[in-house]
Amino acid sequence: MGKIVAVHSYKGGTGKTLISTNLAVTLAKFGRKVCLMDLDFRAPSLSTLLNLNNAEYWLNDYLNGVCEIDKVLIDIGNRIGCQNRFFVGLANPSVEAIRDMSSKDRKWEMRALGRLLSLRDSLLNAKSFDYIIFDTSPGLQYSSINAIVAADLVVVATTLDNSDVEGTRRMLQDLYDLFEKKTEIVLNKVMYSDALMSGRDKLQSMVKNVYGVPLLGVIPCFCDVPRAEGKIIFVHEKPEHPFTRILGDVAARIDKLQV
Amino acid sequence: MSSSDKELSGKKPIQILEKIKESLERLNEKMEIMIELQKHGKREFEPLSPEAPLDVMTLLSMPDHLRKTAMTVCRLGRATADEVAKQTHRARAVESAYLNQLVIMGYLKKERKGRKAYFYVDREGQG
Repeated sequence: MGKIVAVHSYKGGTGKTLISTNLAVTLAKFGRKVCLMDLDFRAPSLSTLLNLNNAEYWLNDYLNGVCEIDKVLIDIGNRIGCQNRFFVGLANPSVEAIRDMSSKDRKWEMRALGRLLSLRDSLLNAKSFDYIIFDTSPGLQYSSINAIVAADLVVVATTLDNSDVEGTRRMLQDLYDLFEKKTEIVLNKVMYSDALMSGRDKLQSMVKNVYGVPLLGVIPCFCDVPRAEGKIIFVHEKPEHPFTRILGDVAARIDKLQV
Repeated sequence: MSSSDKELSGKKPIQILEKIKESLERLNEKMEIMIELQKHGKREFEPLSPEAPLDVMTLLSMPDHLRKTAMTVCRLGRATADEVAKQTHRARAVESAYLNQLVIMGYLKKERKGRKAYFYVDREGQG
């Protein structure tokens, strides 16, 4: 049985897209069949990141009930040497589509939740996918909460920035606890010296004390990441980079988790 | 007594007993609802509308005990009180009461098939 993993955060710019994309690719390289979905309908980014601007159908169409999910998925496994194992579903980046998605009512959101929940049957069961990875919008928005409710595991990306720590803590307590979601934290943009083995124990106990959930991984500030300008799939282009090793550890842990 | 007479006289009491059992089960469900209404006060269960959408914000604002039941029905799609109870590790009678409350509140629909009652979120029928 496959898993649905949502990558979420309280604030923007914490590395959700970086983590979800590279996590999805790493899992595909492990031999898993993976589908990465851009659920950030307010600021879509996968279409640009993956240079796919002419999709026939978008996830917007699937959630609107216009088409089934297989029309939306694009097989780009050949780009990373994982034939038939890496698919993406994109959010429509046009301003018109963004405006349309931000004016939906509660009934629409309820149906959208139903359509996200039914991916378990249509992709994990019927098409034997091992993973669906949701890249979500930051904060407490309908689309993100729908994704969280539909997921088996939520990976929360956070930095050590004080407002991010406090906001994330409140979000876990007031939202995640209510849904009883299995949640793990990835600390991103940590000072390199703090992320080393000696500092890691301290970070581990900080995460446990502040958030009350396990620490899944620590990603230090690597200047190579912003230097790549979001134009490459990092773990694919730079297999020897420490970032790739860390994502490998994170993916291996997720692969072992019982959810 | 002919064999067909025997069959009739043997079958009737069973049918009658099944009818009684069915009625008792329905009565029990109604009692459970009444008990819950008394426990929590009636106002909490008054429906917002005959068909209130069960979206995530609504789930968030529900009391904990009902949220657990509602989330389970969301996940299962369509379920009996028994199936929900297996997931939540609570007693069937408890889940039955909560499910019926959610029906009264307009969040779930209930459909009887034979002796079983199925609960589901009516996503397509609204609006």
